Parts: sequence; structure tokens; C-alpha cells
Amino acid sequence: MNLDLQFMAETFIDVLHGIPVTFQIVIVTLLVSAPLGFLMTVTKLGDGRIGRRAAAAYVSFVRGTPVVLQILFLYSLLPTLLNYLIKEVCGLSYNIFTVNPILYAYVVFILNTTAVLSEVFRSALLTVNKGQMEAALSIGMNRFQAYVRIIIPQALTAALPNICNTTVNLLKSTSLAFMMTVKDVTAIAKIDASFGYNYLEAYLVIFFIYILLCSLVQGVFHLTERAAAAYKKPASVRNARRVFS
Amino acid sequence: MLKVENIKKSFGDNQVLQGVDIEVNKGDIVVILGPSGSGKTTLLRCLNFLEKADQGTMTFDDINTRLHGASKQVIAKVRKKTAFVFQNYNLFQNKTALQNVMEGLVIARKVPKAEAKERAKKALDKVGLADRYDYYPSQLSGGQQQRVGIARAIAVNPDVLIFDEPTSALDPELIGEVLAVMKKLANEGATMIIVTHEMTFAQEVASKVVFMDGGVIVEQGSAKQIFTAPKEERTAQFLRRVLKDYDYVI
Repeated sequence: MNLDLQFMAETFIDVLHGIPVTFQIVIVTLLVSAPLGFLMTVTKLGDGRIGRRAAAAYVSFVRGTPVVLQILFLYSLLPTLLNYLIKEVCGLSYNIFTVNPILYAYVVFILNTTAVLSEVFRSALLTVNKGQMEAALSIGMNRFQAYVRIIIPQALTAALPNICNTTVNLLKSTSLAFMMTVKDVTAIAKIDASFGYNYLEAYLVIFFIYILLCSLVQGVFHLTERAAAAYKKPASVRNARRVFS
Repeated sequence: MLKVENIKKSFGDNQVLQGVDIEVNKGDIVVILGPSGSGKTTLLRCLNFLEKADQGTMTFDDINTRLHGASKQVIAKVRKKTAFVFQNYNLFQNKTALQNVMEGLVIARKVPKAEAKERAKKALDKVGLADRYDYYPSQLSGGQQQRVGIARAIAVNPDVLIFDEPTSALDPELIGEVLAVMKKLANEGATMIIVTHEMTFAQEVASKVVFMDGGVIVEQGSAKQIFTAPKEERTAQFLRRVLKDYDYVI
């Protein structure tokens, strides 16, 4: 079996153009999902029974169905539904089928990531012991101040490894965006390959690209984790390190 | 100064406080003794509204309130007049010793940062931690952490200092340093309510000793009276048992 190295090099250059799209999906999704997920966490930990149940139902629905299926479903449903709403209900003449398909990708990935992050935040908030909240109240701080200054910074530190996981998973699932005709890394590779049937080479190239991207994300998180957890390091460990280096 | 009457509190079917009255005057060192489960900690927590009592009234200088259903403003006012030292220190893990002490001043009391820093340093100096300003709780021993806890409490100049078993989580050799700080505060005229199992300490500093059992106050009086001539058999029994613990030789 011979690999077409020439083709691989060209594809490599081509798919680099898809990286901004891939990252765009990841970043927009995270930016929207983080506040939404946090709101959902607050709902889950709150007193409202209906809110709690609704949030639980939402999370189990999203986690209980394959992303591929969600994409197929939403991509069939949303454009038709929106078209109906715009044309029949609002009476406008806007053509929804010309809209950038990346918007549908946002919707699917935001729905998913919000559910995952709400669970990540919930477990992280529970790792901060309740005594610190009481201590904050006892010296006259209110609940909001205690959350913002004491509880959330620690919870975020605890959540970083899981947020990293979520981000890497999200980055990998953006490869499914090609099903919605979004021109991301995977889509470009598939298009390139289809001309000369060089699928194997194209897939090998993007294997490499995804590994690179995921390692990059993990590296960034690793550094953030180290910086954020500085307060957790006991003096003895620091000194020990000094002794041995 | 502080008077609380008829506090009742239950957790489910368990009646933890069954009508407790307590009065604290300026400069008093009130030590509350009693077996575990007698409601001592719950009583302290009700004073600071960390626990909502089911019933009872509080008079604290010019504040008059029911303990159940007190308004947010009243709760905030009471909390600003009191400070709490916890059994498990409950230091803010993401803040240094100095930041732990400054937090209540800067955030809750809006003291300007520079002044808060000075006051926080003074408080830490007082508990003997002048060389530990920039240490995180995880880098301090239990005794040091508890002394930061005390500094955090005294920095806000509370009218009443509340101690909930401040030495119970400490190794025996670290208890002394915390008790020494508390003794110093007592000698300076601080008003304190203390739950403790350190009997020698209680005898030395208490101006009033309260003995609780089963959610009620069995007996109260001066340290001398309670320790040498308890009126109630239940008190005598408890003291015999805890004082005997000190004779244990293994």
C-alpha cells in the first residue's frame, strides 16, 4: 500500500484553514454554555422544585441521546421549523436556507455542553466545605459576597480538570459538524479526499491535527490548573522541591 | 448586653434546645460545659443565626428581635456585633492568613484597604503569627490555623466573641498555644462565650460557667461554685467523669 505523500501535504495545508472554524465552534459554545450551565447549577441546587426537576430532565435527555442523532434531528427540524415561523407566522420573506450552517452547530453543541457543564459546576461547588460559607457569614459577609470571593474561586479550581475534559470532548465532537455542511477540519479533509478517493491519507492527516489541537487545549488547562491551585500546595512540598532541585 | 430567652430548636424529632436562657454582660467570660449532644454548639450557632432557632427572643444592646423570622437587616446587625471561632477553623482556603483576616473588614465592613491591612496585621501579631502573613491555610499547622481563625474574629472588633470548641480538632501539643491566646484576650477584657472541654482552662478564665445537658441548662454559677460545689447531681457526675480523664495513664 502506498500513501500519496504529495496529497497528504496538500491536504495538511488545506485543513489548516478549517482550524479557525473548529476553534470558533469550541469557543462560542464555551462562552455561551458556561453562564447557562452555571445558571442551571444554581437552579439544581436551589429550592425551586419545578426548576430542579426540569434541569434534571434536560440533563438526562441530552446525556441519554447520541450527539449524532441530535445533529440529524435538529438539522432536519430547525430549518424547516424556522422557515415556517418566518414565512407563515411572521409573514417575512427571509430565506432561512441561506443561513450559515455553523449556527446550527452552535445550537447542538451549546445544548450539549450546557448540560455537561452544569453537572461539572454542581459537583465542584459541593467540594467546597460549607464551613467556609458559615465563616464568611459570621464575619458579616452576605451570601453573594461569600460565593463570589470564597466559594466560586475554589470551586472553579476544583472544576478545571473536568472543564478541560469537557473542552476536549467538545473539540472532538465538532468533527461531526460536517454533517451540517460546516466546513471544519473534518469536512475539508473529506472533500479533498473525495476527488481521488484518498480517504485513508486524509483521515491520517486529520488524526494528527486533532491530536495536536487536543494536546494544545490540555496544555493550556494544565498551566491554568497549576497557577490556580497555588494555594493548595503545602509549604513542606515547596521546600522539599527546593531541597531536591 | 446580650440576653437570649427561651431558645428552642429541634432537628426533626430531636429537640436539641428545649428552652434555654442565657445572659452575657460586658467583659463576661461565659464557659458552657456539657456532654456531647447536649446542645451547646447549637446554642452558639443560634446566637449568630448560623442556625435558625424555632423559638426565642434576643436582646442585644439596642436590638430586640425574635430568633425565628428575624429580618435580614437584624441578622446582619447581630453578625456584625459578634464573631465566631469554629471548631474546624473554617479558614478561606484560597486566601492567605492576612487576606483571611482582611476579608471581613474590607468586604463586609467597607474598611479602606490600607487601614484593614494594618488592623489585620495587628490582629495576627496579637495571636503570635507576625511571621505568617502570606501563608495559605494549607501551609499552617492546626494550631496556627486556629489562631488565624481567632485573629479573623478579633479584627472586626466584635462586642462578643463566640468560640465553638476551638481546640477539639487540635493535636494535644497544639492546644496550649490556642488557649494562651484566648487567655490573653480574656485578660484584656474581651467578652467571650466559649464551649470547651478544657476543664483547667475553664476554671481559670470563666467568670460564669453554664452546665448544659439534654437541651436545657442544668446549672450555672461562678467557676468556683460549679467546680467545687455543684448543686446538681448531674453536674457533679459530669465533672467527676471529665476530670478523671486527666488521670489516665496508659
